[in-house]
Amino acid sequence: MSIDTAVVLAAGEGTRLRPLTRNRPKPMLPAANRPILEYVFDALVAADVRQIVVVVGYKRGRVQDHFGPTYAGVDLKYVTQHKQLGSGHALHQAREAVDGSTLVVNGDRVIDANIVRDVVDEFERSGDPSMAVLERPETSQYGAVVLHEGDVAELVEKPDTDEYRLINAGVYAFESSVFSAIDATERSEGELALTDTIGRLMDDGRVRGVRTEGMWVDATYPWDLLTVADEVLARGHVDEPQREGATWVDPAANVHDAAILQEPVVVGPDCEVGPGAVVGPNAALGQNVTVGANATVRNSVLDTDTRVESGSTLIDAVTGQDVTLGAGTVVPGGPADVRVGREVFEDQRLGAVVADRVTAEGDASFSPGTLVGPDAHIGTSVRAGGRIAGGAEVVR
Amino acid sequence: MCGIIGCVGRADETLDVLVHGLSKLEYRGYDSAGVALSGDRVDVCKKSGKIEDLRGALESRSIGGAAGIGHTRWSTHGPPTDANAHPHLDCTGDVAVVHNGIIENYQSLRDELATAGHTFKSDTDTEVVPHLVEDALADGADNEAAVREAIARLEGSYAVAVVISGDDTIYAARNDSPLVLGIDDDSYYLASDVPAFRDFTDRVVYLADGEFATLSADGWRVSDVDGNVVDKDVDTVDWDPEETGKSGYDHFMLKEIHEQPRAIRQCLRGRVDEMAATVDIGDLGDLSPTGVQFVACGTSYHAALYGAQLLRNAGIPAHAFLASEYATSPPPIGDALVVGVTQSGETADTLSALREARKRGARTLAVTNTVGSTVARECDHELYIRAGPEIGVAASKTFASQLVALNLFTLGTTRVDGVRDIIGALRDLPSNIQAILDGSQAEAVAEEYVDSDAYFFIGRGLQYPVALEGALKMKEITYKHAEGFAAGELKHGPLALVTEDTPVFAVVTGDGEMARKTIGNVKEVEARDAPVVAVTDGQSDVGRYADHVLEVPETHPQAAAVLANVQLQLVSYYVADGLGRSIDKPRNLAKSVTVE
Repeated sequence: MSIDTAVVLAAGEGTRLRPLTRNRPKPMLPAANRPILEYVFDALVAADVRQIVVVVGYKRGRVQDHFGPTYAGVDLKYVTQHKQLGSGHALHQAREAVDGSTLVVNGDRVIDANIVRDVVDEFERSGDPSMAVLERPETSQYGAVVLHEGDVAELVEKPDTDEYRLINAGVYAFESSVFSAIDATERSEGELALTDTIGRLMDDGRVRGVRTEGMWVDATYPWDLLTVADEVLARGHVDEPQREGATWVDPAANVHDAAILQEPVVVGPDCEVGPGAVVGPNAALGQNVTVGANATVRNSVLDTDTRVESGSTLIDAVTGQDVTLGAGTVVPGGPADVRVGREVFEDQRLGAVVADRVTAEGDASFSPGTLVGPDAHIGTSVRAGGRIAGGAEVVR
Repeated sequence: MCGIIGCVGRADETLDVLVHGLSKLEYRGYDSAGVALSGDRVDVCKKSGKIEDLRGALESRSIGGAAGIGHTRWSTHGPPTDANAHPHLDCTGDVAVVHNGIIENYQSLRDELATAGHTFKSDTDTEVVPHLVEDALADGADNEAAVREAIARLEGSYAVAVVISGDDTIYAARNDSPLVLGIDDDSYYLASDVPAFRDFTDRVVYLADGEFATLSADGWRVSDVDGNVVDKDVDTVDWDPEETGKSGYDHFMLKEIHEQPRAIRQCLRGRVDEMAATVDIGDLGDLSPTGVQFVACGTSYHAALYGAQLLRNAGIPAHAFLASEYATSPPPIGDALVVGVTQSGETADTLSALREARKRGARTLAVTNTVGSTVARECDHELYIRAGPEIGVAASKTFASQLVALNLFTLGTTRVDGVRDIIGALRDLPSNIQAILDGSQAEAVAEEYVDSDAYFFIGRGLQYPVALEGALKMKEITYKHAEGFAAGELKHGPLALVTEDTPVFAVVTGDGEMARKTIGNVKEVEARDAPVVAVTDGQSDVGRYADHVLEVPETHPQAAAVLANVQLQLVSYYVADGLGRSIDKPRNLAKSVTVE
């Protein structure tokens, strides 16, 4: 039973990644310097998928604008999930677009092609619904899995004990009957979770759990984008041409001869890096990023159209799109205790998260762990810290 | 203007290939369509209306043949009827012809043929061609010679494709109308435009004026007027066929509005260096014109008005002309560089104006989106705007890219102050447009004013062409009355049109003298109870006098025009959507106007 279609679930915002998701869904946040969803598509294309159905919802225009009607020669078809009522509900939106067996993949995590291939192989061999299972030291954020002779015996969402060591990687293969199984699945609190449907399939027959490995990285909180970038760069999983070693620079980037790139580092198209700037190690510059003269950018992810003016220092920083940081901006870096709502995340490696279209005038500094909401304006010489609301005007 | 498709070497699939190709060409014309396939005899099916109507008509027919031609029409001679749809046949029914362009001497040819006993079934100019072929065949010519003889009799513009019963060959010729061949291993195509066969091959041969092509399953050949074989280059096109998909949007136009950040990135890529404050537009940088005359039509004319202002601000005498006027009453050219701005590169009026200029010894530059287009081949220089294919008939992203390209041209050929700031502002355009797309209130404004009697647009300086373009977009896709005015001109007449049912869109950016004066004009219309929608970057206090504000990010004045236009595009789009208009294919309009 061959399989050449995949449904990619890319409709959810990813609320825990706020404030970075104000203008785009989680799958469009950067893993190093390109959207997470590109890695998902790459893995599918490498596994010989010929048609991808993308379920879009929250800020769907951003997905559609970025990818258009094809990716790497593979047709993309978009279907819209108007209300985000769970992963099962999301998959159900693709019903009309899918004809026969299909892969189903979460669009918000970087995955390796091996994971997809292993699931395809198992599905083609057994004909049973199959899902990828990975070994992880920490399972509490994911769906924990217990296998019995290769069959999924138990599926526990976000377990609060530490007895589990396998997780659901969010890569599945189903026959088209999965859609009627979703129909028959009861909603829980108004939502239809795909894992509940899989529970039904387990009751009705077998669900194969495919032990696999390979790159699988997820960002739960904004600062996780730093570790995601580290992992992607460490594996050389970037699509810019290699300049040397672990230095990748797009041919349409303009890096001054007197700038220093320290590997691993990736520089996207249309970037300008001024004289005396030091970028890297572990730095990812998206499209059209400007790093001014004598600026330092280390352990940071600067997304599309970010401008860092001369003499700035950014360490452990994550910027959204179209962020402008004036001359002499300082983000001295983590670790820090980061407060999100009532929760405090201790000892996180985070200098600052600066969301889309924030403007900081010159000489501003950001205490470790600062979260700045979109469109905020930080005045000259402000010492920012804690959490700054979107649209806020902060003056000294 | 019309679209042509042809295909040989696809055996039983010929019909499917033709219909598929026609659907890709529908933007070139869509008031009727038809196909002809030749085997032992010639089978024809044609229908007024959209391609869907032709599909419907084909369902009850079984037609096949090894060579086939198809056509989608936009009426020039005779109303859109089944009879006037192409292909057209001769009296015997053995010769079928599709044609794009205008045969200027068709009346005399038709009189001559009618006198000789030929019967005409349509009002078209095209129908003379099959009858001319029929005559030549009756005189004993072989098929190719007969088609050549017929073509030799034609005056005017044409891309013609002919099939003849019992012959698996397509004969084709062009003069002043686009025609391109598609080359695959065992099958060959021809079309007015690449997307028609781009799903089947990416290898293409562009025909030049006066060239004649024969395509059969055995191969293809291009020859000149005298029949000598011409050695043609086979080019590879890199546009994805699926780029013509709507990628999840309801209309191509909305998709294309959203593609503007990407289009501008492509236009700028590799051409600007903000650190060094330099622009690289290749050998165009050596032009240093002492004067510039722009020729263009429609939206491109508005881009030309903007470009002329940029050059004048840089101290270069520059003026924009409507191409159709320039072609027939050209001004003194002197040493001026004549710049044709045309998205398609096939706009007949613009080509004609450029030819007139060249005849008078002028150097010419094409600013176009279409590599390999007629304008690019005919002009001395070309500057590509790199917007990618635009399918919506109403231009959106290509206007933005034209403005950006004209900035590059000005920066690259003149000496102006503040180059680094301008380059910085150009580099910021993609994100600034994205900010507008993410937060625009245009849909709400459109909803409020969807039932208005008329729409007026005012702007000053670089925002004056934007006001004109805003009005043109509104006309094109909503079919509503809309006019753009230089803000100061309003009180000299048009103010009489202003009522409480005519919203006025005022484009006011910056806070200088121009903004202050335009705000004065806003107060004039406000005093007549007209609703005012201000498109502004918030630097001035125009918001105080406006009923609605559509915000754009603050930027350099040259970039502000591109941003303001995005808000106006969105307003027009949502008004048209609210009225249920055929947004991608407005009535009576076609994408590239290849007739004068």
